[in-house]
Amino acid sequence: MMSILKRMAAVSVPLFAAQACAAPLSTLDPAGPSAEAIAWLWWVFLAGAGGLTLFVMALLALSFGAPRAVSERRWTWGLGVWFSLAILSAMLVAGVAVGERLLPRDTALEVRAHAQQWSWTFTHPGPDGTVIETGRDLHIPAGQPVDVRITSADVIHSFWVPRLAGKMDAIPGRENVLRLQAASPGIYEGRCAEFCGIGYATHRFRVIAHDPADWPASVPAQAEEAPE
Amino acid sequence: MKGRGLLWLGLVALGPAIWAAAFTLVYALHGAGCAAGWAGIDAGPVSLHRLLMLLGWLAGITAGGWLLLRLPAGKDRETWLPRAGALIGLFATLFTLVPVLFASSC
Amino acid sequence: MTENSMPPADHLANPPQPALRLHRELTRVWSNAPGIRGVFTAVNHSTIGLRFMCTALIFFGIGGLLAMLIRTQLATRKGAFLDTEIYNQIFTMHGSIMMFLFAIPMLEGLAMYLLPKMLGTRDMAFPRLSAFGYWCYLFGGLILIGALLMGVAPRDGWFMYTPLSGSTYSPGINADVWLLGVTFVEISALAAAVEITVTILRMRAPGMKLTQMPLFAWYILGAAVMMLAGFPPLILGSVLLEIERAFGWPFFDPERGGDPLLWQHLFWLFGHPEVYIIFLPAAGILSTVIPVLSRTRILGYGAIVASILGLVFLSFGLWVHHMFAVGIPHMALAFFSAASLLVAVPTAVQVFAWIGTMWKGRPQLKLPMLYILGFFFTFVMGGLTGVMLAIVPFNWQAHDTAFVTAHLHYVLIGGFVFPMMAGLAYWLPMISGRRRIKGLGELAFWTILVGFHGTFFIMHLTGLVGMPRRIDVYPDHPEWEMLNLVSSVFSFVMTFGFALFALDCILQAWLGKHARRDPWKAPTLDWAMALPPPAYNFASLPRPDMTGSEYAGGAEVALTLARGEGVLPGAPRGHREVLVTGIGHASPQHVAILPANTALPIQFAASIGVFVLMMLFGLYYVALAALLPVLWFAWRWARALVPAGSVPPVEIAPGLQLPTHYDSAATLTGSGLACFLFANGTFFASLIFGLAFITLVSPGPAPPPLEGQAAVSAMLIAGGLLAAALASLVPGRALKEVSEAGSPLRLIAFGLAANLAALAALAGLAIWQLGDPRVHAQTAVRAALLGYVALQLFITAIFAAFALDQARRGELAAGHLGALRHWNLWQGYTLAIGAISAAVIWAQVLSQ
Ligand code: HEM
Ligand SMILES: [Cu+2]
Ligand SMILES: [Cu+2]
Repeated sequence: MMSILKRMAAVSVPLFAAQACAAPLSTLDPAGPSAEAIAWLWWVFLAGAGGLTLFVMALLALSFGAPRAVSERRWTWGLGVWFSLAILSAMLVAGVAVGERLLPRDTALEVRAHAQQWSWTFTHPGPDGTVIETGRDLHIPAGQPVDVRITSADVIHSFWVPRLAGKMDAIPGRENVLRLQAASPGIYEGRCAEFCGIGYATHRFRVIAHDPADWPASVPAQAEEAPE
Repeated sequence: MKGRGLLWLGLVALGPAIWAAAFTLVYALHGAGCAAGWAGIDAGPVSLHRLLMLLGWLAGITAGGWLLLRLPAGKDRETWLPRAGALIGLFATLFTLVPVLFASSC
Repeated sequence: MTENSMPPADHLANPPQPALRLHRELTRVWSNAPGIRGVFTAVNHSTIGLRFMCTALIFFGIGGLLAMLIRTQLATRKGAFLDTEIYNQIFTMHGSIMMFLFAIPMLEGLAMYLLPKMLGTRDMAFPRLSAFGYWCYLFGGLILIGALLMGVAPRDGWFMYTPLSGSTYSPGINADVWLLGVTFVEISALAAAVEITVTILRMRAPGMKLTQMPLFAWYILGAAVMMLAGFPPLILGSVLLEIERAFGWPFFDPERGGDPLLWQHLFWLFGHPEVYIIFLPAAGILSTVIPVLSRTRILGYGAIVASILGLVFLSFGLWVHHMFAVGIPHMALAFFSAASLLVAVPTAVQVFAWIGTMWKGRPQLKLPMLYILGFFFTFVMGGLTGVMLAIVPFNWQAHDTAFVTAHLHYVLIGGFVFPMMAGLAYWLPMISGRRRIKGLGELAFWTILVGFHGTFFIMHLTGLVGMPRRIDVYPDHPEWEMLNLVSSVFSFVMTFGFALFALDCILQAWLGKHARRDPWKAPTLDWAMALPPPAYNFASLPRPDMTGSEYAGGAEVALTLARGEGVLPGAPRGHREVLVTGIGHASPQHVAILPANTALPIQFAASIGVFVLMMLFGLYYVALAALLPVLWFAWRWARALVPAGSVPPVEIAPGLQLPTHYDSAATLTGSGLACFLFANGTFFASLIFGLAFITLVSPGPAPPPLEGQAAVSAMLIAGGLLAAALASLVPGRALKEVSEAGSPLRLIAFGLAANLAALAALAGLAIWQLGDPRVHAQTAVRAALLGYVALQLFITAIFAAFALDQARRGELAAGHLGALRHWNLWQGYTLAIGAISAAVIWAQVLSQ
């Protein structure tokens, strides 16, 4: 117990937080336009929520003391209705606007992600017009939008690459489309994000973004998929 | 005697019920339109799909506004609460369905 | 809202009597049977309410222990303490126990315990139903806990998504335990909702207008109405999924035209309102306690009632925010996002009304106030993260991560557990009749607060850096380990705090000094009695001059009432008598004689328990036979309502004679039946929604061509409808005939026969014309609809048989028409849903 407490004390919190933000599944370390827009939303929300919490706590603290004459209108209509509506309306507009920007529009390169308990099958174009199927890594070109067509063979799963975009469920009998874009080449961790049974914790995959100049030549055939 | 109190409760709930009806109607129009492909049919500046949903929204707003105008104003709770219900209904219809104006439909 | 005006107050005053004599007389009539018999036969609302709360707190302890196991497992990366199968059972049971066996029963218990006291009456409207609900809850809970101990607990998460919870991917009885056990428990929620609604609307002390009743009653009324509308979709979903698992009807199987999303819609159509059902009573406690502890009146009574109204409705328009990532088009998401944002407005109105109340008065830092401050601090943050999650793009990232775990505990512990603890601290002197031991409660509060925020605040970050909920190990993510370790350590601090709280309660009840009457100087009637409260609450019921304003008088009126100077004093006729009043202005209407102690509730609940167990073990034919005892007890339940002879009117105050409920048209039972039909109607509407969804929205293979001949089907449907329509004329005419002193024996027999004929037509339709429901979801859902109509017809036939039996015994006299009236109501409902179902099926067939 003592040693745990010491370990905790040794790590100063801000450093710890900054370090944690840059994790392989971190939504706070965006590497593509979708994830970036959402991370922005989060930081704005955080600032606003912090301010509002302080405001309410201050009102609460001020209530301790002698009785005061209060105007019912000001508290219920002023603060309760108008003040909160102003904030909520701004959030609605921001939310819908960002959401619209993240939707798949126009045409883009298409790849497929087929989920099953507890593995994935990715299908994408390979070198020389071939179609390549892989099991662990989804290959995409960096710097351009890619539509992932997501399906499931058994139960509901969810396709999630936090550094690139939000999640989209894989539902048996349906096909969902998620738009992804990686800003630069690299390896991005992904995982299933809907509880899908015993193997859920390890239902993972990776997205490998290639330099567009080498695409699709650099996509390895499945047999060559490098071990982890 | 029993009926009056119930009637008053019904009047209080009427405003929000108008919202519930409008919300259900527009949501159903949305689902039906996407299934039937109305989004692809043009109707003037907008698609037929959006036009229908706009009409549903307007119908809800009209009903809510009509109720608000019909109800007597007054400060005592028995008069005020039905009006508050009407206000809630009207406001909720305006706010929750406003995305018909700008969100992409299917 | 004008009703006939109240008789002047002094008319309702009775002459004073010796308080002790009244107390003895009332205690003899109202108290539970002594000894062990009392355990099984008690129906008194204080007893049943306390049982609900104590049992719920025990389940809270069990759920808390499971949470500790989860936190221990997650403290380090490799876990290596629970295997995944067990871990999945544990988090599923933690969530299910906390939602279904702790939160809902806790609020039901509190409402049952307090409402009659606050409203100025002696019991809930249907005491036997309270007890029946309790036993259903206990037996259902025991089934779930038993499964946990035997290692066959549900393991698919508390929202049981299909197909994972279907028979292919979840063989064994684990999922059945959830579906059947939770549905069994939900019987008690529906029972409570019905009687709470009726109690609030029809049993307020004379002159307590709706617009002046304590805010707590408004909150509970809102919650009860939401339960009537919110639980039926869950029950429907559970029944359909259980039928799919047991008999292979593919409602949710995409390969046979079913749709996993239908389950999600039905579940969240219940699931989101559920969190407001939990929150409303907690907010009711806050609206009661904050003004008392600030020595003032609530600010904005009207605004708060309007907020409740807004919450009750709006919270049914948010459920899709749990489904933002399932691939629904963006505009629909935007509707639900907007609704989810808007629902924050009524919540904000209440929060600011409460703070304004504190500004208006002089808040005192007593123990309940500490918990209230804990509520503000925690719930405001939980509400703000909730608003964030309502924003679609943010939700796409945060959904199903530890961020959501953090959010939901901020609102559930902040918005429910803290207010409940404030309430317990406030009402414990009433419940136990004893004063608190100083210091321990404060210590418990601070330990819980620090432990809670230490556990869950950091969990927001854990989620944002990518940790999903419901995983048991994370060997490749060292970056999450420190975060989780911190959460786990603080969760033990929190547990220690809850243990201190329990200790404090036990010590208070055991060692505390006797409490003074009305220790908080409260303005509500619940304190206008001795502590702990007597079984009958009030020796005489409050008069309009005591209830005609928000300030009901608290302890000041206690003596007056104890001396019998209110209305309906004592129990001189040896019955449990209460006053039934009008909905709006609470003008006295009649005197209801409530049933006394009986073992029927536990027998009835046990017979249902046997049925549930047989279903669970897959003994379907035995289960069918097990329905016979259920029917037998239901019959006896109704028989017990029939009076032995004529009952004279009762003088409730000098010169004011009121009939008993046997001689009245608008009875409590009638109101209760109407409430139940409302819930039944939502169930039916959910089923129609399911049929439309499967027919119009679900992708998947086309349904097989129709079987049978259209002409035969049409004839059977038309014949069945005709028979039902004829039957629906009968109870009304029989009512007329009886009041004209005729004997409607043959008429009633005809009504029974017509119902049976309609049932036969339906059976014919099902057997010859329907096709195999196992082939396709559209056939299956059509068969489910027919089954539903058949069930209603069957119940109507039972009503008819009951009336026939009464006519045969010569019990149907002008005054005693209860059975005919209720039959009439049910028969009308059955005809309506029968006609709608016929139209819907016809439309579905056309669309093929
Ligand atoms: C006593 C303190 C509590 C602690 C330490 C605690 C802790 C936890 C943890 C660790 C999880 C699992 C998250 C995961 O699987 O990743 C969880 C889930 C959950 N908790 Fe609690 N909890 C507590 C109290 C409550 C209360 C009071 C409620 C409701 C009234 C509640 C409702 C839930 C629900 C609904 C879930 C989701 C279960 C699921 O994923 O199926 N918890 N809790
Ligand atoms: Cu998965
Ligand atoms: Cu929700």
